[in-house]
Amino acid sequence: MRPGRRILGSEHLAGWVFVLPATVLIVVFGIIPIGWVVLLSFQHNDLLAAPTWAGLSNYRELVHDPEFRDSVRRTIVYTALFVPISVGGALAVALLLHSEIRFNRFYRTAVFVPVATSTVATGILFNWLLDPTYGIANYLLGKVGLGPYGFFQDPDQALYAIVAMTVWGWLGFDVIIYLAALQGIPGDVLEAAALDGAGRWATFRHVVLPLLSPATLFLVVWSTINALQVFDEIYVTTRGGPLQATTVIVYELYNQAFALFHAGYAAAIALVLFLITLVFSVLQLWVGNRRVHYSS
Amino acid sequence: MRMRLPFSPRHLALVPISALMLLPLVWMFVTSVETLDQTRHFPPTLIPSGFHWSNYRAAWDQAPFGRFFVNSLIVTGTAVASNLLFCSLAGYAFARLRFFGREVLFIALLATLMVPFQVIMIPTFLIVQHLGLVDSLGGLIAPNLVTPFGIFLLRQFFRTLPVDLEEAARIDGCTRLGVLFRIVLPLSLPALATLGIVTFLWTWNDFLWPLIVITSTDQSTVQLGLASFQGAHDTKWNLLMAGNVMALAPMLIVFVVAQRWFVRSLASTGIR
Amino acid sequence: MRRRLLLATALVAALSLAAGCGGGSGGSSGGRVNIVLWHGYVDTEGKAINAAAALFNKTHPKIHITVQNYGNSDYALQKVLTAIRGGSYPDIVYLYGSWAANVARTPHAVDIAPLIKSDPSIHWNDFWPAERQAVTVGDKIIGVPALVDNLALVYNKKLFRQAGIPFPTASWTWDDLRAAAQKLTNPSAKQFGWAYVNDASEDTVWRFDALLWQAGGDILTPDDKHAAFNSPAGVKAATLLQQMATIDHSIYLDSGNDNYANLFNSGKIGMLFTGPWDLSQFPDVDYGVQILPGDQNHQTISGPDQWVMLDNGDARTKAAWTFLKWFTSPTEAMRWSLATGDLPIRASETKLPAYQAYVKRYNGIATFVQNEGNALKARPVLVDYNEISQAMGQAIQAVLLGKAQPKQALDQAAAQVNQVLAQGG
Repeated sequence: MRPGRRILGSEHLAGWVFVLPATVLIVVFGIIPIGWVVLLSFQHNDLLAAPTWAGLSNYRELVHDPEFRDSVRRTIVYTALFVPISVGGALAVALLLHSEIRFNRFYRTAVFVPVATSTVATGILFNWLLDPTYGIANYLLGKVGLGPYGFFQDPDQALYAIVAMTVWGWLGFDVIIYLAALQGIPGDVLEAAALDGAGRWATFRHVVLPLLSPATLFLVVWSTINALQVFDEIYVTTRGGPLQATTVIVYELYNQAFALFHAGYAAAIALVLFLITLVFSVLQLWVGNRRVHYSS
Repeated sequence: MRMRLPFSPRHLALVPISALMLLPLVWMFVTSVETLDQTRHFPPTLIPSGFHWSNYRAAWDQAPFGRFFVNSLIVTGTAVASNLLFCSLAGYAFARLRFFGREVLFIALLATLMVPFQVIMIPTFLIVQHLGLVDSLGGLIAPNLVTPFGIFLLRQFFRTLPVDLEEAARIDGCTRLGVLFRIVLPLSLPALATLGIVTFLWTWNDFLWPLIVITSTDQSTVQLGLASFQGAHDTKWNLLMAGNVMALAPMLIVFVVAQRWFVRSLASTGIR
Repeated sequence: MRRRLLLATALVAALSLAAGCGGGSGGSSGGRVNIVLWHGYVDTEGKAINAAAALFNKTHPKIHITVQNYGNSDYALQKVLTAIRGGSYPDIVYLYGSWAANVARTPHAVDIAPLIKSDPSIHWNDFWPAERQAVTVGDKIIGVPALVDNLALVYNKKLFRQAGIPFPTASWTWDDLRAAAQKLTNPSAKQFGWAYVNDASEDTVWRFDALLWQAGGDILTPDDKHAAFNSPAGVKAATLLQQMATIDHSIYLDSGNDNYANLFNSGKIGMLFTGPWDLSQFPDVDYGVQILPGDQNHQTISGPDQWVMLDNGDARTKAAWTFLKWFTSPTEAMRWSLATGDLPIRASETKLPAYQAYVKRYNGIATFVQNEGNALKARPVLVDYNEISQAMGQAIQAVLLGKAQPKQALDQAAAQVNQVLAQGG
């Protein structure tokens, strides 16, 4: 959608006036700090002694760093699992909650609780639930003849356990977004579809789903941005292990910056992550703009 | 269209889901009423052997939590209000107005979310310091006045509204600002409620930024106060969880109250 | 776009310069020097530091010290780095020993070697050897000892009696440890003989270091240029861990969340290699403390932390030095230990009358104090230490999980470490 050519047209002016406050704030607290990070990425800097100029050598090292490559691979696997499961699961739960059944308010609040719970408490809870020896998960799975599993202690399972834990922690967030969007679907549209003889599944697929597509696009983009930056939950459980199985990009970044004092290198990692995220988001928005259905 | 079944099959799915989601709250509560010695067991139990409500009093007294709650409320309340305002303005512009550089600006603002906070916290601190806001509530509020998340959310939501209403109002001579405040926002209560809840959640639960910016006790927030229960090797779990339960309460209250804006009569279509 | 970036960078650079001057919230007021101390103490220790500050302020009218809690120590480094970067930092800050070499690199850290030389009242040699080693970075001394501890064998007396094993003695060997662990392990009761922290962090490494030193090995060569932990001594230590974990299954592998402490308190673990800080977490256990079982010797490892002084001008540095001398003096240090259970930081404290009250109050602490004499070697104080630690941690974790053989794992880690050391940091 190309903007019109009347640069001084009132719509252009109005547009800029409307976005100005937010833009100024985000430039000051978002863009300028990122500029600092860009500068840092061209330095050998431990944030303690005087930095030295590194030029592109941090980036060159990054390209040849197998640990970084592995962290990228793990992050993408994590994201590819987290986004569809959490968004799809949230849609299912939102549809369940979008009704007038009794205790609805209670259910909605319950679903929201994990989102409001601190990461520390969530980590402790899952460390206990998934403990190979003493946890409830293996206990229950044993009753149906499965397991025991290592979960956080097994290098082959740890990343998937983190997926489960973070889906649990964020589902409620996606649910309330979907609930808000479902509220926006006018009742008469659904009635019209029913009158036309459309079955429930057909109504869902051809009426509800397209009307939810703006929310779906939002959630997919937002979940992707967050999934690519997953850190806190890993920090309170597996600490990047075992055997680095859960060392994702931001964990590698954190380790480089605050354990190894390679802040310049960490900044380079941050910018590469930024580019990866940007590419994903732009692609998603571009596809979304073509397929998302806005007006009713 | 509204049918009230005596028993809906939805309960069959919602009960186990809710149970799973409520598990941390149950554990937190049980831990919060145990004695410290009782917490030193693994695996932990979900059934309390006694109710030591005195933990709540002890937690409250351990640090000036009254002050912390006030500080957190001020910071969070301001952040919610300013986000609702600025993100509405910007979100509406991105949704409905055509202006030069719109798409690029949108991506640029969104892009600021793509760098992890761990890296930008130091330059953000330097900026806040330059503004003279270190160790003050202003320093906590300033970086949280607007989030691109809110702009994105509202932009998506505003686009789902029928354009005819707004166009009709414009033809009637309403200014764009008027259209936003009188037509669009009243129809967007669920989205605004969502943004409000989420902003509240994030600002209330924020730990790392307050840790960096605040040093004085009387400027501390609830989350910083909770950190005082955690030593390097010796955490008072019962008091910490009592504190966590107390800190969780306002959020749940906000959520329950905001639910009324989620419930819209299914018969309404918004045509006035 | 480029010009905007340049403008932005210029702006940030300008901000950094502008923010660069000025000290912390200390300063002088009416002839009195104000200094600030950052710590991570909570609870009992938090009360103790506040009491110490109040006492000092009362007895030293020319100086006023303010103590502030900097939050959880995990994030403390970030807070301190930000403060140093922002140019506004405290005069004294509590830092982990593992950060010493790195912190020494900032020009703001005060080198106290000249102060020690010119002021013998600090009685520097009264501090335990391990502490003094931990703060020595090359020619500089960058901190005053704040905390010392070491690893000893803590065991559950009831479980030992139940299994019919005599309590550990001071001449226990690795074979004794292994045999006892086997007898104390009961899969159906979900009981383990020993616990080991297996999160590949320094927690994993430093226990191994004790075993390595007991077998006569070293972490690095004397010139600090090559890895030495993959020697036969190291392989022997790693093999012990491998056998106990993968053959005997007598070790509970803790994932770094300190579950082992609660498990020990619940009577599910027979023995621990741990330090005095954990003792208060075992209210339900009748525990005993013994020096570590040995191989060629019974060496242990110590983990000192320190008070680092940051430069905010001569007046404040002098005031900070006065405080630290007072705070670490035998009387005040003993008062601190009695209140908190921390080990005495000076050898001479054991001669004070208050020391008797101290060993009486804290069950088993006397063995820890005595064990400090077994802390003969220290970890290298190098800027690259954390990279060395991570390489070793990964190797030990792999061995404990049964994913690698001791020799291969240690050799691989040694190759990594040699590369890091060759690059010179």
